Amino acid sequence: MLEINDLNITIGPNEIVSIERLSIPAGRRLGLVGESGSGKTMTAMSIIGLQPREAVVTGSITFAGIEMVDRSEVDLSDIRGAEIGVIFQDPLRALNPTMRVGKQVAEALRLHNTVPRRDVKQRMLELLEQVQLPNPAALARRYPHQLSGGQQQRVLISMAIACDPKLLIADEPTTALDVTVQKEILELLARLSEERGMAILFVSHDLGVIQAISDYIAVLYGGNLVEMGPASDIVGRPRHRYTEALISVNPGHPEDISASLGEPLVTIRGSVPPSGGFLPGCRFRGRCPHETEQCVQEPPISEMPGGHTFKCWNPVDEAAPAMAHGVELADGRR
Amino acid sequence: MTALIEIEGLFFDYHARKPRAEASTDWTLRDISFTMAAGSTVGIVGESGSGKSTLVRLLCGLLAPSRGQIDFDGKPVKDWLSEDRREFHRRNQIVFQSPASSLDPRLRVRTSLSEPTKALQQRKPGAGELGDWLRDVGLSEEILPRFPHQLSGGQLQRIAVARALSVQPDVLYADEPTSALDVSVQAQVLNLLMGLKERHGLTLVLVSHDLAVVARVCEQVIVLKDGQVVEAGTTAEVMSDPATEYTRTLVDASRATSLIRS
Repeated sequence: MLEINDLNITIGPNEIVSIERLSIPAGRRLGLVGESGSGKTMTAMSIIGLQPREAVVTGSITFAGIEMVDRSEVDLSDIRGAEIGVIFQDPLRALNPTMRVGKQVAEALRLHNTVPRRDVKQRMLELLEQVQLPNPAALARRYPHQLSGGQQQRVLISMAIACDPKLLIADEPTTALDVTVQKEILELLARLSEERGMAILFVSHDLGVIQAISDYIAVLYGGNLVEMGPASDIVGRPRHRYTEALISVNPGHPEDISASLGEPLVTIRGSVPPSGGFLPGCRFRGRCPHETEQCVQEPPISEMPGGHTFKCWNPVDEAAPAMAHGVELADGRR
Repeated sequence: MTALIEIEGLFFDYHARKPRAEASTDWTLRDISFTMAAGSTVGIVGESGSGKSTLVRLLCGLLAPSRGQIDFDGKPVKDWLSEDRREFHRRNQIVFQSPASSLDPRLRVRTSLSEPTKALQQRKPGAGELGDWLRDVGLSEEILPRFPHQLSGGQLQRIAVARALSVQPDVLYADEPTSALDVSVQAQVLNLLMGLKERHGLTLVLVSHDLAVVARVCEQVIVLKDGQVVEAGTTAEVMSDPATEYTRTLVDASRATSLIRS
């Protein structure tokens, strides 16, 4: 349903994103993961034309058969909110602090004229109920600051799904929330996606969060798609060294790790370079502990069964046992 | 080990003008008692609004208890503050969640880093010292003339840690030190805290909503809910056999987003 081909985003002389191919089938959930500065948000926002003004986008992004690149602002604003919903990281900043939340949800409905005016209020209350907010009628009369972070994010989700979008773009929607609330929001998004056949593009720096919600995972580094495939393959049998590293930095299950109390966590050497600072060839070069001489050249795309692809000259052994966090990696990689 | 910090029957309320009954549920913190040994690592976990940060502010002497007492090194915090405030603050340092907002955007790293020494020890640190402090947290002295906006979140948090440690505290309080950071940077900062704790013999108090983080770093854990301690003990005990439904919820939530160990 969403197809990205040869997408290139540049700002000035710097290439920010370069993606050969990425697609989301209707009703499925794709997780886009990478560290800050990997180009995740830029990629997600370019789909709906919300990239920064100075960014130049070339290539093709088609949504339900419609080409989105270079589309006029008028056309895009028809699609945004109606066909494609968006939720952002910080719910309090995305809501209008001076407007009651019910009115804001109703506005989302009115804007795209999807329901007759007399039904707007009823529909608004239904939406608040669908995102499992308690007592919608009372809650609709509150202002954003009177709600908890989790409730605010639920309100935003209700606005994003107001017009029954086919695709929901969720950019770090749980990063500002407690783990307990995060789990609830992830469950809510998964349920809404199942019930409505709504596809989700979920963006996060946390592979743990991504694997909890995604059917497919795409790993981005330096604006390049380094690995992509079914979620269980990416987390269980990663091939790219960057994916392997992202898995190893996760602190792991709370019950399992009492044994490793005080043990240093695995880290990734160095840090993400600023845009324009990535080396040619494999972008992960310089931070990768498995670098070879070949890595100065652009790695080819290798394909595995089940739609699992990766771009790495010296990948994780295919016969390696399914990934266990931090175990084999722990030595010499701290 | 000797108890460095002792809390006995602590109550706190941000806006209690009139006396409140002890049984009232309106307290921000209610009837909290525990002790922390010198050199231990203690995790304080709970959801937003459970009173974690308030508790840390009380322990640091930034807020005064409504009822009950906090002893630090055998002396009530109240007495410390009236008799030797500087020494108390020197020995109890804190690192906050958002590194960007805990450093003054108009001050160079050099100036921010010098502040605690100037304020608490009334002397100006030498260039050599500043460099040593930065190297201690894995940074180079080249960043001394920079401003906060020129640095990454992970670097800023390291500076905040270096600044806290510059006055050789006994206790380092870290209030959600990694919540604003990438998971990859979180690992670096946690390793840094664990390493510094060993090197300097610190007592480390780590506040987090994520049990996975606390379980990795802390020997002891205190679970807070609605201002009350619902469970406390060694991390191993609490994690393997949570005594309350609430702790179970926290473990499950943390587990849902942790990667599976096969």
